[in-house]
Amino acid sequence: MNEAAMKAIRVTTSVNGTSYTRAVEPRLLLSDFLRNELGLTGTHVGCEHGKCGACTVLVGGRAVRACLMFAVQAEGKSVETIEGLAAGADALHPIQRAFIDCHGLQCGFCTPGMINSTRALLAANPAPTDQEIRAGLAGNICRCTGYVNIVKAVRQAANEMRTTAAPEGVSK
Amino acid sequence: MTKSTSRWVGASLARKQDLRLVTGHGRYTDDISVPGMLHAAMLRSPHAHARIKSVDVSRARALPGVHAVLTGEDAKRYWGPLAPTIDIGMKVPTVYALATDKVYYMGEPVVAIAADTRYLAEDALEFIDVEYEVLPAVTDTEAALAPGAPLLYPEWGDNVQCAWGMSVGAVDETFARADHVFEFRLPQHRYSGASLEGRAALAHYDAYNRKLTLHCSTQAPNLVRTLVAQTFRFPEHDVQVIAPDIGGGYGNKLQADAEVIPCLLSLATGRPVKWTESRQENLLSGMQCRDYVWYLKVAVSKDGILQGLDAQVLGNVGCDGTCHAAGAGKFLVAAGYVPGPYKWHAFRVATKVAVSNKAPSGAYRGYGKDIANYPLEVAMSRMADALGLSPAEFRRRNFVGKDEFPYQQISGPVYDSGDYAQCLAKLLELVDYDEVKQRQAATQGKSAKYLGIGIASMLEPSGGAVPSCIFNSYEVATVRLMPEGGVLVLTGHQDIGQGSETTLCQVVADELGLTPDDVRVVYGDTNAVPYGLGPWSSRGATFNVSCIAEAARRLKANLFEVVANLWQCEAAGLVAADGAIVEPGGRRMTLRELGNKLHLWPGAFGVVPKHVANPFEVTHYWTSPIASWTPDELGRIRLYTTHPSGSSAIIVEVDAETGKIEVKDVAIVDDCGVIINPTIVEGQLHGGYVQGIGGALMEEFHYDERGQLWNTDLTSYLHPLATDVPDIKCDHVISPSPYTTLGTKGMGEGSTIMPCAAMVNAVEDALKPFGVRVDQLPLTPERVIRLLKTSSIWREMYEVGA
Repeated sequence: MNEAAMKAIRVTTSVNGTSYTRAVEPRLLLSDFLRNELGLTGTHVGCEHGKCGACTVLVGGRAVRACLMFAVQAEGKSVETIEGLAAGADALHPIQRAFIDCHGLQCGFCTPGMINSTRALLAANPAPTDQEIRAGLAGNICRCTGYVNIVKAVRQAANEMRTTAAPEGVSK
Repeated sequence: MTKSTSRWVGASLARKQDLRLVTGHGRYTDDISVPGMLHAAMLRSPHAHARIKSVDVSRARALPGVHAVLTGEDAKRYWGPLAPTIDIGMKVPTVYALATDKVYYMGEPVVAIAADTRYLAEDALEFIDVEYEVLPAVTDTEAALAPGAPLLYPEWGDNVQCAWGMSVGAVDETFARADHVFEFRLPQHRYSGASLEGRAALAHYDAYNRKLTLHCSTQAPNLVRTLVAQTFRFPEHDVQVIAPDIGGGYGNKLQADAEVIPCLLSLATGRPVKWTESRQENLLSGMQCRDYVWYLKVAVSKDGILQGLDAQVLGNVGCDGTCHAAGAGKFLVAAGYVPGPYKWHAFRVATKVAVSNKAPSGAYRGYGKDIANYPLEVAMSRMADALGLSPAEFRRRNFVGKDEFPYQQISGPVYDSGDYAQCLAKLLELVDYDEVKQRQAATQGKSAKYLGIGIASMLEPSGGAVPSCIFNSYEVATVRLMPEGGVLVLTGHQDIGQGSETTLCQVVADELGLTPDDVRVVYGDTNAVPYGLGPWSSRGATFNVSCIAEAARRLKANLFEVVANLWQCEAAGLVAADGAIVEPGGRRMTLRELGNKLHLWPGAFGVVPKHVANPFEVTHYWTSPIASWTPDELGRIRLYTTHPSGSSAIIVEVDAETGKIEVKDVAIVDDCGVIINPTIVEGQLHGGYVQGIGGALMEEFHYDERGQLWNTDLTSYLHPLATDVPDIKCDHVISPSPYTTLGTKGMGEGSTIMPCAAMVNAVEDALKPFGVRVDQLPLTPERVIRLLKTSSIWREMYEVGA
C-alpha cells in the first residue's frame, strides 16, 4: 500500500446545496464519497468504469460519472445528486413524475443516473426529438425497460417543463 | 365462491415502489451499512484450469486493517461443499465456494479477505501468493464431449453432467416416408442477464444469538436461506435472509454461490461483512447462460405439414450447472419444449450437458424455453423458404388450433389455452408485413442497405415445477386483515422490478372490495413471510397470483361468516365492495369497523362464532392442478402449468458494405391470458425483447481456447443502448388459462425468447440475394461480413479487386 495514498486530504464541496468538509484519501471516488461518507445512496454504482451511467450526478450543472471522478476533484464545486431533486415526497420534479407516469423504470437501479442525464439533456435542449433523447441517454444503460418508456418519460417531462415555469433548472 | 369484480385487475396503475426509486430512496443491498461492518474482497483464479500447489496468505494477514484472510482449506472448518440446487439424474460435483485443490474456471474465488474498507480489502489481494500448476482447459461444447478431452472431474470419466432422451411415435419410419427432410446445425453463444446491480451480500453472524442474518440481492430469499443453511450445515431456522430492493435479476440471482463467502467471513470475524460484486467479478463469475449447439432433423410433407422432429441439444454449463446454480436443468426444459406451438406425429430428442472450463451456468430469462425456441423458429423460416411458402403461412398450417386446447403435446406438456394463429395474424397487421415486403422488393439492390423482416412465434411455458430442484412446485402466502381495516399480503415472491409490489395489491383489492392503497405487500424477509419460492419461470402470475387470490377469497369467506353471525343473516348473500361488507340493498360494515370489532372492540371472543375459521388472516398453499411428476404410459411428465404464447417481428436494414445491422422496427403480440396491469405487461415486453436483441447482435462472453475471458468490462461486453433499438409496438390476444385462479399466465420471459430467431430470420431475409445462412451469433458487423464473403454474388459486387 502506498503511504501517500493513505494520507487524508481535506475537501469542501457543496452537495445538494449543503456544504460538507471531510478528510478523505485522495483515491476515494466521488461515488464512494457520496454513498459512504455522506450517506447519499441514491447514486448507484453499476460498472465502476464510466460505461453504464448509473452513477451520473451533476457537477457544476454538467452530467458527470461519479465513479470516474475523485472526491478531492469536487473541491469547491457544486454537486447535485438524485436526493436533491425533489423538495419532498409530494413535490416531485417533472422528470421524476414523468418516469412514474410513463413506467420509465423497472428495477430502478439505473433511474437516478437516467434522471440526472435527462436533467442535463433538457437543460441543453428543452425540446428534443426522440432521436435526440436517445442520443442524449446513450451514456446510460438500462437492462429492464428497453428504453421505450424512458424516451416517453423524457418527452413528457420536456413538454411539461416547457409549458410550465420550470420549478428547478439544472444549476444556477 | 363469490365472483370478484374486476375493478383493479386490468388497470394500468402506477407502481408503488416508484416514488422511492425516482427520488433516490430505494434501498439496495449495498446501500445498507451497519456498525462494525467489514468489507470483503476475493482473490480469483487467473487460470481456467489449474491445480493449486500452494497458497501463502501470511503477508496479507499481517496488513493493518485486515481482519481475516481465508483460503479454501481454512474455510472447510466453517462450511461444506456448495449445496446442490438441482439433481435430476445429474452428476453433482463436490465443490466449495472457495477453491481447494483445483480451480475450474477463470475468476473462481480462491482466497477471501475481510478488511476495514473495500479499498483496503482489495489492496490486500496484492499480498497473496498462489502457486498454480496449469492444466489443459476445454471450453468448446463439442470439444468437451469428445473422447480424450481434458476432464474437469476425473472421477466422472467424462465431462457429461447429465444426459436424457425420449422418443414418441414412429420416428424412423416418418423420416423414411417423408417428402422432405431438412437438417440444421444451430449453435448459440454464451451471454447473460448482467443486471446493472451485480450480486451483493451483507452477512452478520451474531454468536451471542447464534443467528446468521444475510441481506442480499436475490430473487428468492427463502431458497437462499435453505442453500446457505445447507452449505454451512447450520440450522435453517437460525438463518434470516433479507432481500431489499433488487437492481435486476432476470434469473441470474437464484442461488447462494459467492454469497456464502461474506457469511464465512462473518463467522470467522464475528463482525458484519459486506461484499458488493464489481462489474468485472459479475462478468467473470455472475451466472452465465445460453451456450449450446442444436442438431435438428425435420420431416415435412409436400403440402407443408410438419411430420417428425429428431433433435439433439448439446449444452455447455461451464464448470457446473448444479451447485453454483441450477443451469443444467434448462437443457432438459429445452428438450421437452422444442416441439414448440406446432403439431407433430413423431418426435425424438436427446440432450447432453457438458461441463467445461468456463464460469458456472445459471438461469437467465427463458431457462430452456429460449433454447427450445431458437433452432425451431429459424428452421421454420428456412423451411418455409425452401417450400415456397411465406413464413407465416407455414407456421399457420402447423400451429395447434385454438379449438384443440387443452392440447397434449407429443413431448409431454399439456398446453392450457391460446390462439397462436390470431397472435400471428395480429402481428402481421401491426407490423404491416405486406407493405414491408413490397418496400423490400422495390428497394432491393438500389443501395448497399438491404431491408429484411423476420418473424418468430413462441411458447413461454410458465410456472415450472421441477422435482428434486429448488425450482419446485408450490406457493404459500398470507393475507392478513389489520385492526384498522387495511390488508397485508405476506409473500415469498420478490419484486425485482417486475412490479408485483403493485400488481398483487390490484389482485387483493378486487377480491376484498378495497383499493390498492388499502393493501401493502410484504416481501423480502424470510422471517416475515411464508416459505414461498420467488419469481422465476415467469411463475408470478401463475403460482403467486393464484395463491394470493385464493387466500384473499378464503379470508373474505371467513369475514362473511363473522358478519353474517353479527347480523344474523346468510353469509352467501354478502358482497365485499367499496371498502365494506355489504348486504345488497341493506346493511354495510366497513372493513375498518370489522377489523376494530375483531381485534379490539370487543375483540374476537365476542364476535367470531366457534365454527368460523381464522378471520384475521389466511395462509394458503397453492399448487398446480395440471403439473404431474408421475410419468404417463410414454414416460412423459408435465412440469409447467400455463403456456403463454406470442409472435414477434423484427425489421432490419443490413449494410452489405459494413455488415452493420440497424434495427428499424419491432412488433410483439403476446398472449399472457388475463392482464393485471397493461402498462407493466408492455414494459416487460419492451425490456425483454431488447435483452434478446442484445443477445442476437452484441452480447457475448469471449472465451479463448485456454479459457481466458477477454471481455470483463462494459466497454468490451456490449449491451444495447437507447440508440441501438427502436420504439416497440405491442398488441395482445387474451386466452385465459383454465388452470389459474384468475386466468392469468406468466409473461416475464416470452419477449426474450423470440428475438434471436426473429433477428436471424430478418437478416437472412434481408440478405437473401446473397443466400446467407447465419451459423453463429451474435451478428456483429465482422460476422455479417464473414457470412457475406461466402457469397460469390457479394464478392463480385463489394469485394475490392474482385
